Amino acid sequence: MSFLTIPFGPQHPAAGHFHALIKVDGETVLGLDPYPGYLHRGFEKLMEYRVHTQNCMLLDRICILDPLSNEAGYVNAVEEIGRLEVPVRAKYIRTIMLELGRILSHISWIGEMGMALGFDSACRIAWGDRERIIRLNEIISGGRIYPVLFCVGGVRRDISPEFVDKSYEALDYLERQLEFYDSFFFKNETFIMRTKGVGKLGASEAVDLGVTGPNLRACGVDYDIRQDEPYEAYPEVNFKVVTREEGDAYARCLCRRGEIAESISIVRQLLKDVPGGPHRVQLDPMYKTPEGESHFCVEAARGELCFHVVSDGSPIPYRVKVRGPSFSHSLVAFPYLAEGSTIADIPVIYWSLAPCPADMDR
Amino acid sequence: MAYLTEKINGIFSPFVLLKNLFRKPVTLQFPYDSLPPVAGYRGRHILDLDKCRGCFVCSMICPNKAITPVEFRGRKYPQVDLGKCCFCQLCEEYCAGAAIRLTQQAIMVTMDKESAILGPEALSQAPTF
Repeated sequence: MSFLTIPFGPQHPAAGHFHALIKVDGETVLGLDPYPGYLHRGFEKLMEYRVHTQNCMLLDRICILDPLSNEAGYVNAVEEIGRLEVPVRAKYIRTIMLELGRILSHISWIGEMGMALGFDSACRIAWGDRERIIRLNEIISGGRIYPVLFCVGGVRRDISPEFVDKSYEALDYLERQLEFYDSFFFKNETFIMRTKGVGKLGASEAVDLGVTGPNLRACGVDYDIRQDEPYEAYPEVNFKVVTREEGDAYARCLCRRGEIAESISIVRQLLKDVPGGPHRVQLDPMYKTPEGESHFCVEAARGELCFHVVSDGSPIPYRVKVRGPSFSHSLVAFPYLAEGSTIADIPVIYWSLAPCPADMDR
Repeated sequence: MAYLTEKINGIFSPFVLLKNLFRKPVTLQFPYDSLPPVAGYRGRHILDLDKCRGCFVCSMICPNKAITPVEFRGRKYPQVDLGKCCFCQLCEEYCAGAAIRLTQQAIMVTMDKESAILGPEALSQAPTF
């Protein structure tokens, strides 16, 4: 049987830094072989040479579009080994920032999805709106893309009244913008035709493939770590886990759109009653954790993110294992869904899964 | 009928984007115009030579080993390699004498690697915006 091999990425606007070879027969995709490693930086090994304080600076680089979830996973795992009690104020600030990070990631994804569909206006508008959240990162932490805000024992900087005012302003703006996105993007007939019925995934298939996050919830599985195993200040907030039944690219897109609205509501609830008190426990820069290990999972914007930290009693972790959401999305689920589809559907399936190549390669 | 209306609305919905033609652009014409950095921005370092105790906690905690001790005016002071620095602010956070600080200077452009290394004298001067 004759087939043609087409490269997809790693330097391609619709691929991020993901590389795959697509075997095609005419328009039909016969198979897709992913080749990871283009963005490999060796984070797990790098962390074995640095103390916990220094590792917090590295974590943001794992996933550029959703940096704070990585910080939350690691610091919580270390705090669990050290049996550290984090101030309640710090938990609230962390949750606010995690939800703002989720909005940031999902808005970036709207841009990526727009680009995959050849709808460049959506990309420009979404990435322009992303600036609102980036500005909030800058106000609270001094860093725009990499906030490095969380530390073992709390958060490095407290929230200011300016941050609270600007947050409300940004949330009001984004709420208005969501309706605008609906009008030109989510209810756009071209968008619906390109995504409905494309890359359909059943609930049991999704579980078998290791799919998590909004991609799993779009298949009708009501699984969200924020609700099932709440961490930080999530037990204090009321929110609805957005699920859909269809399991196709359209359902995945609408799940993310619904999550932006839910996140806006969570941040509003938390901003209203941030408790007083200290925002961190001041620790020695060479803070030593006792011997032991812990496994901590957080619900990152793109799926389930787990950190397994092993400590041998020194300030440097003996081993850090990261389970990122994008690994199974891009290396397992994407080739599975791509088989049998058409070339034009490849970017749509890929971006509807919203993998982050930086997180996949680590 | 409802199905038809939905379809027609879906086809014409992108036209709301035409409104954007009459809006102010969100981008700024850099370098003529730029967004001012916020008060706590993590930019280029500044070193107070009188306050520096020479303990080099900054050098020890730096994740990228960007800070090294160098001889200056008869004693050791920190030298920062901006090419290696990740602007995490750990040096400022753990400086016992509050000698090293991060300023709001965000733009650090250079054509050669050597000029990205700031010695104690260059570090002690206020940044030029």
